[in-house]
Amino acid sequence: MDHATHNRALLSVQNVSLSFGGTTALNDVRFDVRAGEILALIGPNGAGKTSMLNCLNGFYRPDTGRILFDGHDLTRLPRHRIAQLGISRTFQNIALYTGLSTLDNLLAARHIHMRAGLLDCLLYWGRAHREDLVHRQIVEDIIDFLEMEHIRKAIVGALPHGLRKRVELGRALALEPRLLLLDEPMTGMNQEEKEDMARFILDIHERQKMTVLLVEHDMGLVMDIAERVVVLDFGLLIAAGAPDEIRHNPAVINAYLGEVA
Amino acid sequence: MDAADTLPKSLIAARRQFGDHRIAMRQKDKGIWRAYTWQQSCDQVRRLALGLIRLGLQRGDKACIIGDNDPQYFWAQIAIQAAGGVAVGIFTDSTPPEIQYIVQHANAVLVFAKDQEQCDKFLSIRDQVPDVRRVIYWDDKGLWNYTDAWLMSFQAVQADGQALDAEQPDLFDRSASEGRGDDLAIFCYTSGTTGLPKGVMISHANLLAGCDQTAQIDPRRETDEYLSFLPPAWITENVLGLAYHLRTGMIVNFPEAPETVQEDIRELAPHALLFSARLWENLVALVQVRMAESSRLNRLLYRLFMPVGYRVSALRFEQRRPVGLLWRLLQALGEFALFRPLRDKLGLTQVRSAYSSGAALNPDVIRFFRAIDVNIKQLYGSTEAQVHTLHIGDDVKFETVGVPPPGMQIQIVEDGEIWVSGATLFQGYYKDAEATAKALVTDAQGRRWFRTGDAGTLDADGHLIYLDRVKEMIALAGGEKYSPQYIEGRLKFSPYIRDVMTVGGTDMAFVTALINIDFNNVGRWAEKRGLAYTTFVDLSQKAEVYALIHHEVEQVNRTLPPAARVRRFVLLHKEFDADEGELTRTRKLRRGLLGERYRDMIAAMYGGGDAVRVRAAVKYRDGREGVVETMVRVATVG
Repeated sequence: MDHATHNRALLSVQNVSLSFGGTTALNDVRFDVRAGEILALIGPNGAGKTSMLNCLNGFYRPDTGRILFDGHDLTRLPRHRIAQLGISRTFQNIALYTGLSTLDNLLAARHIHMRAGLLDCLLYWGRAHREDLVHRQIVEDIIDFLEMEHIRKAIVGALPHGLRKRVELGRALALEPRLLLLDEPMTGMNQEEKEDMARFILDIHERQKMTVLLVEHDMGLVMDIAERVVVLDFGLLIAAGAPDEIRHNPAVINAYLGEVA
Repeated sequence: MDAADTLPKSLIAARRQFGDHRIAMRQKDKGIWRAYTWQQSCDQVRRLALGLIRLGLQRGDKACIIGDNDPQYFWAQIAIQAAGGVAVGIFTDSTPPEIQYIVQHANAVLVFAKDQEQCDKFLSIRDQVPDVRRVIYWDDKGLWNYTDAWLMSFQAVQADGQALDAEQPDLFDRSASEGRGDDLAIFCYTSGTTGLPKGVMISHANLLAGCDQTAQIDPRRETDEYLSFLPPAWITENVLGLAYHLRTGMIVNFPEAPETVQEDIRELAPHALLFSARLWENLVALVQVRMAESSRLNRLLYRLFMPVGYRVSALRFEQRRPVGLLWRLLQALGEFALFRPLRDKLGLTQVRSAYSSGAALNPDVIRFFRAIDVNIKQLYGSTEAQVHTLHIGDDVKFETVGVPPPGMQIQIVEDGEIWVSGATLFQGYYKDAEATAKALVTDAQGRRWFRTGDAGTLDADGHLIYLDRVKEMIALAGGEKYSPQYIEGRLKFSPYIRDVMTVGGTDMAFVTALINIDFNNVGRWAEKRGLAYTTFVDLSQKAEVYALIHHEVEQVNRTLPPAARVRRFVLLHKEFDADEGELTRTRKLRRGLLGERYRDMIAAMYGGGDAVRVRAAVKYRDGREGVVETMVRVATVG
């Protein structure tokens, strides 16, 4: 995809700082996520990656700075409003309804798009019924897309980790977001599962022109699928650019190697 | 048009008979079964066949198909044949070098490859298969951004076909009517337990004869349900699935995904089912393991009524004696409390014809299913001659594989080899006159026989008892012969044993076994006992696991004559793996290779040592290779 198509910033993080007591989690961070790109946010443990995501979807409120999403300032909006604006996410530690089936987890995510009132639903006729069909169709498309037919009716709590991660991605998609936030979608997976997940992310990106912000630990995979990379270290943004530039950036090498050594 | 002596003509005849008022096929898509009528199915084939003609497919040309069981697979096959071509099926899990061999050997000019995964394989061998003009895919997922003009969508081919149809409306019928019964219809590349795969040439007449012979004794109706899940590259699916479908109007259903087959079977409750012997065995193991974990009430019902089922079916089938009133009453209760729910769980509520093939089926498995009122029949055949024998009606004997269907003849020649003859005999191996001459012989009366390479005997009722491959029957040092298959089948009935290879021979005094534990079931067993383990290697070498398997081996030994008993065994540190060439794609053991590979272990079993050090090269799923070094114990049985 050429650069002209996604020059416009869909999400703009402007001078965001966040601290917990004396600890600075984010320090004057600024970067843009351009419409239609896959941007990876990487950094060593404790660099502030998840804190950043938490600011984006309203779990945390930044102390200073602004986050603009398509012209809306997110910093003061309640979480459900942010979801309605079109930002959905997956979590590093999977957060699903473990007692429900895959299908029900995905349908639950359709909640924000449901319009039928209580009376409609009680009668289950006309609007509620029509709506149900539409939601089911959308959810079934996602099940097909993510190859989850065989676990459609399986209880999520009983699924292996790799599949639960996939269900979570499915739920994020069921919100029909414009920006997808993925918090370490590949942790705890074996190589085959990682490759599957990478393929799904690329497919979503290609097919739906989805803008993706990806937080990930696995450097190899990040470099393979991201178009641009932003690097955080101790709450500071230390580099931003194409994967190749990042790979050879001395500050990044130092941050990562410093951690390993 | 003349009599329907080819598959495409059969489709056209069925379309004329059933038109838009009968369902031909269904596929589960997005959770809903979507139906195609015979008219729609035929229209699909028509557009596709004309599209292939436009792509330059000539009469006699070969075209390969690789993909899962989908309507598109069947349509592609009939369309290739309607255009006068030969369809060559390839197993979906074939590697690019395997695919390359078949495409080159068959001189294929067109290829159907279902999806991104299969198209990628072709892109990786593109330079080696210059004769392939187009790769046609029918699932575009992930292929949206592929711009290579070598790839073409199913719909695009059909659109070209439609345009051609508008120009020449009689072309399809003309092309289909040019086909003759003795034209080649398909090549089936044999899984090849030895050497390179061979292309078995099969004519339309062969396929239709195979269907008609079996249909005489096991008829189907146009309302019968069938689920297509056997590999479509395999002869069996071509006869019992496609040919039966076109010939009898039976409805063919396609699973949503390969992983959902079990669920789809349950939803559909097909009238006819063919599982490999292994699959039936796995089902029994599954029931047993699930039962062990089930509620107390369920376990109680199972313990209470299974003996009733066993007793009643033994009276009925084995002793052929009338069943007393009390037992009939208990049986009726069991039907309500256990048998019917169990059949429902397994998708067997409507099944009329339940077949097993691929290997000798363990009597215990047959007894189990009879107890829940499913009469499994054995079916024995080959790619080269289709169905050789099968059980007909209630005439089912455990130890046999049945009798030849009408039209087939069998004979046992002096060295014990089974020869078969009939209208289903194949036309030869493609480009291999030498192998063809070896396999096909004509007797003094001018009758053609296929030498199966299998060993067997006929019993007093004319039932065939299948022993093993002729070259696999093994004589021990004492002169007694034993059938490795039999012992292995018995051992594999244990839920804790996944695979076994027995070892013996004229230079060996007794039988030994290489055993693969079933990682899931043994793992669960270990967890229940608080037995900690890390990997397959670790679990397989636990003393407790050895004791568990030791007990299983003793159980089986009790049913064998002393000379044929397993005296020593090892639990392998890894599973047999098709990717490493240890098993064929249909999961048959490659004994020669295994014997070579595990030579040290076999030597240790006969040498009397208690353990052997192994260094085994392993290939990980991500393609890396490594070496595992461990001690493997050798156990001695009483």
